[in-house]
Amino acid sequence: MDDDKAILRARDFWGACTLIVVSIFFLWRTFDIPLWGQNNAGVAGINWYESAAIVPLGIFLALLVLGFVLLGIAVREGGAERALSAAGIGWDKDEAIRFSSIAVILAFYIFGLVPRVDFVLCSGLLVTALIWGFHTGQPRRMVLAASFVVVPAVYALVAHFPQAEWGAPHDDDWVTLAFWVGLTALGLWRGPRDKVAKATLWIAVISPLVLVCAMAFGFRQNVPNRGGLIFAQIEYHYYVTLRPLWRD
Amino acid sequence: MEFVLSQLSGFGGAFYDLAADPVTYMYLIVSVFLGIVFGALPGLTATLAVTILTGFFGNKIPLDYSLIALLGAYVGAIYGGSYPSILLNIPGTAASAATAMDGHPLAKAGRGGEALGLTTTASFIGTLIGTVALLIFVWVLLLISKNIASPEKAMLALFGILLSGTLMSEDLVIKGWIAGLIGLAMAMVGLDPLLSEPRYTFDWPYLFSGFQVVPVLMGAFAVPQIIEGLRHVKMGEVVQLQGRIVPNLATVKRYLPTISRSGVIGTGVGALPGVGEDVAGWVSYGVGKSVSKEGHMFGKGSLEGLLSSETANNACIGGALIPLLVLGIPGSPPAAALMGAFKINNIIPGPTIDPEIILRVVAIMVMASFTMFLMGLFTARIFIKILRIPQTVFLPIVMVLTTIGSFSVGGGINDLYLMLGVGLVAYFMNMLKFPIAPLVIGVILGGLFDETFRRTLFIADGNLSAFISRPGAAILLTMNVALILSQIGAVKRGFGRLIGR
Repeated sequence: MDDDKAILRARDFWGACTLIVVSIFFLWRTFDIPLWGQNNAGVAGINWYESAAIVPLGIFLALLVLGFVLLGIAVREGGAERALSAAGIGWDKDEAIRFSSIAVILAFYIFGLVPRVDFVLCSGLLVTALIWGFHTGQPRRMVLAASFVVVPAVYALVAHFPQAEWGAPHDDDWVTLAFWVGLTALGLWRGPRDKVAKATLWIAVISPLVLVCAMAFGFRQNVPNRGGLIFAQIEYHYYVTLRPLWRD
Repeated sequence: MEFVLSQLSGFGGAFYDLAADPVTYMYLIVSVFLGIVFGALPGLTATLAVTILTGFFGNKIPLDYSLIALLGAYVGAIYGGSYPSILLNIPGTAASAATAMDGHPLAKAGRGGEALGLTTTASFIGTLIGTVALLIFVWVLLLISKNIASPEKAMLALFGILLSGTLMSEDLVIKGWIAGLIGLAMAMVGLDPLLSEPRYTFDWPYLFSGFQVVPVLMGAFAVPQIIEGLRHVKMGEVVQLQGRIVPNLATVKRYLPTISRSGVIGTGVGALPGVGEDVAGWVSYGVGKSVSKEGHMFGKGSLEGLLSSETANNACIGGALIPLLVLGIPGSPPAAALMGAFKINNIIPGPTIDPEIILRVVAIMVMASFTMFLMGLFTARIFIKILRIPQTVFLPIVMVLTTIGSFSVGGGINDLYLMLGVGLVAYFMNMLKFPIAPLVIGVILGGLFDETFRRTLFIADGNLSAFISRPGAAILLTMNVALILSQIGAVKRGFGRLIGR
């Protein structure tokens, strides 16, 4: 068996274990749904075939069985023996740093920044962090880029938990802007002077700006955090300054 | 004959309505262009193009324009994948993997222009073959599907999930089934469709309405792509384009039998639930290699090899729409994304679909293929320039697109949490070689399966023979059982021995 397949079977071992645990958990939760026609306070319950639990029960039982089948295959093909060693599951430190940095950036962007901070600012920071952090493939940059997203996100989470207030004081917007400017300056100062480095700032400014305006004014849809530092100004001038020009 | 003529006249009316509306062209040009760009950029896929545009156009504009935008992007993206396959030897989409086998050797031999021109023509003809098949077969199947009731629908939904799981697994077949079942399980979240009993909601009001389709689509298809693609990749050398792109008519005529055969194969493969354009391309390539006189030249720069895969992957689009429109079962991953768009527009594909919509879909497909053909022949050099953009530059923009698209469809932050959660799970599933398309198909068909399966039991007072007392349901049940048994080693061996005797 080649090495890739052996690594895959070791991963399958953990995948199967997770699947079995998750299936058992949801099977247990399934029994919260009335199933066997219990008699509650003198009122007859439903028959088994009318129960809302019947299909989920079948699905999670099938998942449990398939989880054991996968576990069997993984064990038979040597996955269990390799599963406890880092090399066995194909652990690669650089790849782990890369994945963790991206996961942290995306998680703090979605959970911390988007619900609270102006969309143009937080997306500008995201785009800058992802391009600057990952274009050259250096792990140090990836971690640094992640920290530039994490700090303003944590600030926004702590200062405005659980969500942004209407007419907020914009302190989290200013902090995010400061980190964006800081990361952009760092990129221009220490980064390679190639086309990508030069284009990053433009991409980071223009892409969220165009998208949010298209969504809000073109498609007339809701956009995240309408009261944000930049978007509130855009919206005000769109309706008060610009729109009357063609409405009149 | 009368049937075909009536179909053509219905199509003519729909085509005229669309062609007479100037706004149609705006959406067509923009969507086909975006589709080709998505297809041409390695790291972006046709499924992603349709998914992201669903977030933008899905339910924000009239349905006709929404369908133009999504189908235009679908057609464009499948074709666009041929650019990097030919010029960089990197398939832009999985559908174009087979195209690289002969396209790149042709480009290196100084015949890049000829290869691109023929690819464009083959993709155009392939799309038309698939569309004609859609126009004819969709109606034949619709007539049959009028007799479909709850037992058949339940068995059909299950068959779609199992078949896509079986055919899309790179590694073990059970991984495809597990993915499909995870999708089905996700569809169980929320109030149940018959009794409004809350299931797995954990008292979180957001979950009462179940998982929304668009955030699941975005999470399953976009987030893993972004995580996987954000790495330093040394850009390959783009082969200098030589020769004219506009194809020689005599060459096209010479290869017309190959194009026709590949178109039919692509349409047939596309009509199988859940099987995408990549499979169509490889199957057609394999058939071409075995039946062609120049089979020994396949992989070394054979025009026939190039046309075999490129025609089939575009013909697959029309084929993939047949089960989607007739049965409500997507024929390919991008068709699953398209079904998401139907769902958010409150259109339920299946036997009850408005026939007018089918005619409009056919008309849009024809217009999109013409637009793709003209763009491919006359603006190819723009798309070649796009090939030089590194994926670390465009993937962050895709993340912003995904975020705002997902937010605006449901209008809530919770959709973003769902999107990211599904995305991270899908990334790990990708790492373990679990196919993602069956999961999405499971989420989309889960509600239908749950409702129709339980309704059957309701009506039959719990008598399970309801699934075998109707001939259609019995056939489908047998197909499901046969599909499962065919993957069990002991059964396979026993069957092999039986045939041996």
